[in-house]
Amino acid sequence: MSSVAPFPFDNPATERFAIRADELGVRYSLKLTRKQTIRDSVVRRVRREGDPDFWALRNVSFGVMQGESLGVIGPNGAGKSTLLQVLAGILLPSEGVVEVDGHISSLLTLGVGFDEDLSGVENIRLAGAFMGIDHEVVEERLAAIIDYADLGQFIDAPIKTYSSGMRARLGFSIATSVEPDILLLDEVLATGDAVFREKSKQRVLELVRQAKAIVLVTHDMNWVTDYCNRAILIERGLIVLDGKPEEVVALHQEHAAQRKAEAAAKGVLQLRRPRPGRRR
Amino acid sequence: MVPHARARPVHGPWSSGRVLRFRAVTARSETPAFFRSSSVAPGPVQLLRLAVNDILSRRRLIIYLVQADLKKKGADTLLGNVWWVVDPLLQMLIYVIFMGVILQRKTPDFPLFIFCAVLPWKWFDSTTKDGIASVVIKDKLIKQIYFPKLVLPFAAVVSGVVNFAFGLIPLFALLLLVYPQRATAWVLFIPVIAAVEFVFALGVATLLSALNVFYRDISNLARHLIRMWFYLSPVLWSADDISHIVGHHRVLAPLVVMNPFYHLLGSFRNVVYYGQPPDWGGLIGLTLLSLDLLVLAVLIFKRLEPTFAKVL
Repeated sequence: MSSVAPFPFDNPATERFAIRADELGVRYSLKLTRKQTIRDSVVRRVRREGDPDFWALRNVSFGVMQGESLGVIGPNGAGKSTLLQVLAGILLPSEGVVEVDGHISSLLTLGVGFDEDLSGVENIRLAGAFMGIDHEVVEERLAAIIDYADLGQFIDAPIKTYSSGMRARLGFSIATSVEPDILLLDEVLATGDAVFREKSKQRVLELVRQAKAIVLVTHDMNWVTDYCNRAILIERGLIVLDGKPEEVVALHQEHAAQRKAEAAAKGVLQLRRPRPGRRR
Repeated sequence: MVPHARARPVHGPWSSGRVLRFRAVTARSETPAFFRSSSVAPGPVQLLRLAVNDILSRRRLIIYLVQADLKKKGADTLLGNVWWVVDPLLQMLIYVIFMGVILQRKTPDFPLFIFCAVLPWKWFDSTTKDGIASVVIKDKLIKQIYFPKLVLPFAAVVSGVVNFAFGLIPLFALLLLVYPQRATAWVLFIPVIAAVEFVFALGVATLLSALNVFYRDISNLARHLIRMWFYLSPVLWSADDISHIVGHHRVLAPLVVMNPFYHLLGSFRNVVYYGQPPDWGGLIGLTLLSLDLLVLAVLIFKRLEPTFAKVL
């Protein structure tokens, strides 16, 4: 496991785990999450159906060494975001163990927690308090966060007056102001206009260099091959492949092409039936 | 019982991290269990200790949430925070017109009689409703960051206190300017009675906010039950009136006395309107009950907390 990570790390790869997941499973009980009404429950009981369960993740075991950068790829709904939620401590695993060594920061979807009636500055303070950052530290970094978000006078206006791009900028600025040991990133790279996207890419790279370990969920395969030294492919809650980024990306693209072909075949069949005369 | 056989003790290089989290759950863990620092399912004492730590370590967050809430309540109105003073006054006015003019009630100094009970009732009413919704409205945030959810109902109830405190301004104005002959030193006991109501409301809000995550029916139901409770409590009529109506009925009479607001509103009215000491016996009993309720509510909340992110 002593695969070396020359770039982008300043910290060399070590033999120490940053994250270790062992036989991890996350189960959603549809009884609770799909909000069955009492009528549904009774019907199920009468038909002697069990309560349906859904495993978003199952038998997931992997480790991230200190100094490693792990890319997580897979189709939509495969369980990538669930994995990040577990690593961030938001979700509890239903089975298995997750062990994390270090201070975690998660950049999951940006800016969702904003309070519409509060100003940008007030939201920065509130977000800091939610993330558990000490009050003094937030005050200290306030100027830098405001400066980076670059919203001008809007920083004192309520968030409800912001455009979606402005929200994303503020969210990104807050989320990246922390100094984590372990960084979790979920599709955060596609925010804002071209200028800000370039700026944010630089910022993420900077963080990636500082952090001791990174887990990155993305659909941008270039990021995986350029900045990760390992990748895992998740499909339907299971790890399909764990290995070098190039190999994993190749398999993912192969599977994606297959799925596309299957979908296309299905689509043609469905199109054919109602209008037999029309073919592509 | 070896529910957490998988969990391994912390040792070796693991223990050198700044923050060490260690979570382990068995196959059957839709029954919430969460482990931040140990591999053992926390017992009631441990849960309570965690809860106290949640609140103390996130005081700043509670303050910000309260500030945000107060700011929001005044937002988008011309009068802004003046509404906190005007609101209870208008409500009192409605009851005075309704009860005094239409139903011809002959209670002396009726506005003061109504106001000293409407104020604490309104506090309970709005604080419970805000508290119940407090967790559910933060659903997106709960799925995005880890934070102790217990701060949410606590912040909602604390922000209600501020509203109540502002309502005391018109109450004192009414008492001192319009009915100075009724003012006595017993008024100074308002904070004591309010403290008992605070603990009671905190318990109710904490318990229901957790249950509301799983069954949103709770908030619908609570709205109607609270309304019912209003009419069964001595707001529009005095405690004596209610006792008089139920008389020595075997079921109703004890029920009336079991209503926390029989004692709370009775005490408020004693110190403000009648110039008498509060209902000490009732208050002490209610304090004990409220503390029990709060402990129970916090335990249930902490037990359910780990599943919030999945269910919301």
